[in-house]
Amino acid sequence: MTLSAKAFQRWLQSIAPDASTADVCRISGIKRTTLAQQLVRGKVSVSTVVSISRAYKINPVAALAGFDAYRVLAGPARPPTRNELVSQISTADLLRALLVRPAMEAVHSAEAPALTPAPHATSVKNWVDAIDDGEVRHRVSAATGVAPQNYSAQLTANRLSPELAVATALAAGVGPAGGLVATGVITEEEAGWPPGARQAALDSLSDGELVALAGERLQSLGKVLRRQEQDQAQTEKIWENLG
Amino acid sequence: MIEILQWSTLAICALVAAARIPSTLRGENRSLFGIFSLMTLAILLSIQGPYVVIDQAMGGINLANLLLRFVIFGAIFFLGVRISRGFGADSAHRLITGKAGMVVLVAVSVVMVALFFMMDTAGSSAGLVAISGKDARHFALVEYYGAAGRAYPAYVALALLPSMVRAVRDRLPVLVRIAAALLALGGIAVALTLLFPVIPPSLGSIEFIINYTAILCFVIGLALIWAARVVNGRSAARRRTSTET
Repeated sequence: MTLSAKAFQRWLQSIAPDASTADVCRISGIKRTTLAQQLVRGKVSVSTVVSISRAYKINPVAALAGFDAYRVLAGPARPPTRNELVSQISTADLLRALLVRPAMEAVHSAEAPALTPAPHATSVKNWVDAIDDGEVRHRVSAATGVAPQNYSAQLTANRLSPELAVATALAAGVGPAGGLVATGVITEEEAGWPPGARQAALDSLSDGELVALAGERLQSLGKVLRRQEQDQAQTEKIWENLG
Repeated sequence: MIEILQWSTLAICALVAAARIPSTLRGENRSLFGIFSLMTLAILLSIQGPYVVIDQAMGGINLANLLLRFVIFGAIFFLGVRISRGFGADSAHRLITGKAGMVVLVAVSVVMVALFFMMDTAGSSAGLVAISGKDARHFALVEYYGAAGRAYPAYVALALLPSMVRAVRDRLPVLVRIAAALLALGGIAVALTLLFPVIPPSLGSIEFIINYTAILCFVIGLALIWAARVVNGRSAARRRTSTET
């Protein structure tokens, strides 16, 4: 959900009392026209608040918590669950970690390279899968009024609006900021995830767990790729005959 | 109003056909150029002015109208073949090129030619309007002749319709899905021509609108698929250069 322009102006007043809109845009790197349009429409996007917070060295989660719609983000950061942490490790990183495990008969025990920061190509879907008890999607759509098929469509596209990301975290009973990390709105650090937490979670997986997880990821990746290839082949055929 | 519709449809169709000339010379999908040319000729033959000129050259017994029917059959046949193959509509492809399609095409053609020669067709008149006005027998014959001429295009359009509707909902590029929607709309319009006999004469202009809607939908739909390919080719080329740098 977007934030009301009124509340946004009030917030901006409190963090940068003397700054003009032009100053704010320059410091935060937001296009002036973008901000002006958001203000005129009375709907300021979450990413605008995040960018401005970062520019003024304020934690974006704390800043968002000041707005009514995101009040749930207030309070001390709740640590992410292990499943959440692992869900934010890219498939490529998982496979690299797997290759240096003893189970893969690694002769030279080389260190896997450092993890790439979240989000990754399927981070949103993996995050929801990691916290889903089977009913989360229903609860989210009941709570927000968003139709289940629209919700699924967003997940498939590795997207989730900030509002839905927070609603999903609430419905699953995990830390409210986790979804914002998975969608790339804020960083792990901003969400209060301990440094190295993902690496630690990865290290805590047994060989068996890691192989099973990598297998699941590869299987769903394979499905997506196959579907893309089929779509591509169909499109090529249309162009071959009608282009 | 109808004149404007006729001439602008002719212009659009001729433009698209002309735009296909370079790719036809390169050997890409030559039959598409054929389809557009046939459609242009068909529109030309359905407008009073050019119709009379052409028909006079052919002897003034409305053979041009018979020619028009077969031009439409040819265009719709090749259109059906290309679309069903492109969209992977195997059942539609079988219905059009298989035994059933051939039986329908031959039967309709035979009936149409027979009806044509049962009439006294002297005196050029687009749409055989003057012939139809001669007497009750000619009125009925022209009606049957027209119905036969609409039957084959409607058959092909109905065969294609399900796969077009499916393509609209498929995960295809947006332009291709819009094109499929237009082709579906064109197909519906062609199928609606079967209902012409029950349209009261006072609403005669509806017939023109349906006919030209069908042609415009087909032409613009096909042009959109072509545009989608060009757009895709360009963005693919850009992707290639951006990964090289």
